[in-house]
Amino acid sequence: MSAVFSVSELNHYAGEVLAADPVLSAVRVQGEVSGFKKYPSGHLYFSLKDKESQVNCVAFRGNAAHFSFVPENGMSVVITARASLYDRDGRFQLVVYEMEKDGVGDLFAAFEKLKVKLEAEGLFDVSRKKAIPKLPQRIGVVTSPKGAVIQDIIHVLSRRFPNFNLLIYPSAVQGSTAASEIKKGVEWFNKTELVDVIIVARGGGSVEDLWCFNDEALARSIYQSHIPLISAVGHETDFTICDFVSDLRAPTPSAAAELVMPEKSELLYAIHAKTDRLTRALLHSVAVRKNRLMFLSRSKALLSPLRRVEAESQRLDLLSLKLTHSLNRRVDSAARRIGKDIASLDALSPLKVLSRGYSLATNPMTGTCITSVTQITPGQPVQIQLADGLVDCKAEKTQPGRIL
Amino acid sequence: MTQSEEYEKLSFEEAMIELESVVSKLDSGEGTLDESISLFQKGVILSKLCSSRLEEIEKKVMILTDNGNDAKKEVAFGDDSTTPGEKE
Repeated sequence: MSAVFSVSELNHYAGEVLAADPVLSAVRVQGEVSGFKKYPSGHLYFSLKDKESQVNCVAFRGNAAHFSFVPENGMSVVITARASLYDRDGRFQLVVYEMEKDGVGDLFAAFEKLKVKLEAEGLFDVSRKKAIPKLPQRIGVVTSPKGAVIQDIIHVLSRRFPNFNLLIYPSAVQGSTAASEIKKGVEWFNKTELVDVIIVARGGGSVEDLWCFNDEALARSIYQSHIPLISAVGHETDFTICDFVSDLRAPTPSAAAELVMPEKSELLYAIHAKTDRLTRALLHSVAVRKNRLMFLSRSKALLSPLRRVEAESQRLDLLSLKLTHSLNRRVDSAARRIGKDIASLDALSPLKVLSRGYSLATNPMTGTCITSVTQITPGQPVQIQLADGLVDCKAEKTQPGRIL
Repeated sequence: MTQSEEYEKLSFEEAMIELESVVSKLDSGEGTLDESISLFQKGVILSKLCSSRLEEIEKKVMILTDNGNDAKKEVAFGDDSTTPGEKE
């Protein structure tokens, strides 16, 4: 006969066997969550099931706090756990350490693959990105008409630019039809050309929720869009293919509204500042010319007619003074020379000779000096000039050749 | 075509760029006084144009609804008829 165990002993023993088993002490199990319950203690209780079986699971608070998501019924997950037996009711259960969504790894792999492919094709090229208009006349939004996202966008736009113009293309933003609905929205706006910028928006969500924004066909239609497009999907940390292919990525839908519409007051200020500069530039330009004019009007060049007359008349005064001096000098020297000449003339004068006893005979008929006896015929009158008077005589006879 | 008619075609963005270039030219102080005055007049026209462009946008929030045969119709957004059912 074998030994008889108490129930407690049995459960305890079975528990130890399970704990000692190398496979069951750290096992990874894939299944669907059901009967999920979160206790106030923070512990999570649920079952993991597949088509035929199910197993009880518990995740204690310390481990559950590190899960990247809150499990929901129907969710397919992969857990890492150890098998144990709950002593009190002898129930087999898994104590869960880690939990991840099933297929998430596959999704990331697919995302990376598509990203590399489209990047290689040049769909993300910066050179292909279109500029967002500074002042969109009308903004197109492809998003869900329900929920906070569109309200946030409208709120931000109203604050920045009260008279904005928005056209909403309602679309599912998660689920199987979302990608094709969003794509239709982008294409509709491109066909109708009713807007000059498009925002594709969605609020935050799980990787699966945002998955439609990693759709290849949607990415290509965004690339083809001739209207600039802003992608505003999820939170700041979420990146989708749409973000890469769009002309501008906004971290959130509200941020997209900030980016797409300028602050009206800032624009008014900018216009005002430019107008102000314009006025100041003109006034400055006038002032500069005025100064130049004043400077020129004081310059000699402009005053020249009068100045020249003055200068010339001064020169004239100077010249005439010089002239007078030089004339006077000339007159003086001439007078002195004349005085000298007169003195020498006086010395040479015949009167002086006469006063020394000489006399001068002239023919009174002709007035010519008689210098030879041949000029005289006897009986003709001869006038003798002495120093103190004339003597009228008559020639008696001539004696040629006789001197005293 | 007069200067203002020519400017009438400019978008806000284009008018702002043109205004900036006019201001810069006037700032440089080059050219004759007549040229400066004509630049100033251009600038004033452009400045008014920029301001009026800001007011020209019509405040409107519309949503597209199916109108049969793939056609869409714009209706004002925010009416109960356009956001049926639950609000998330």
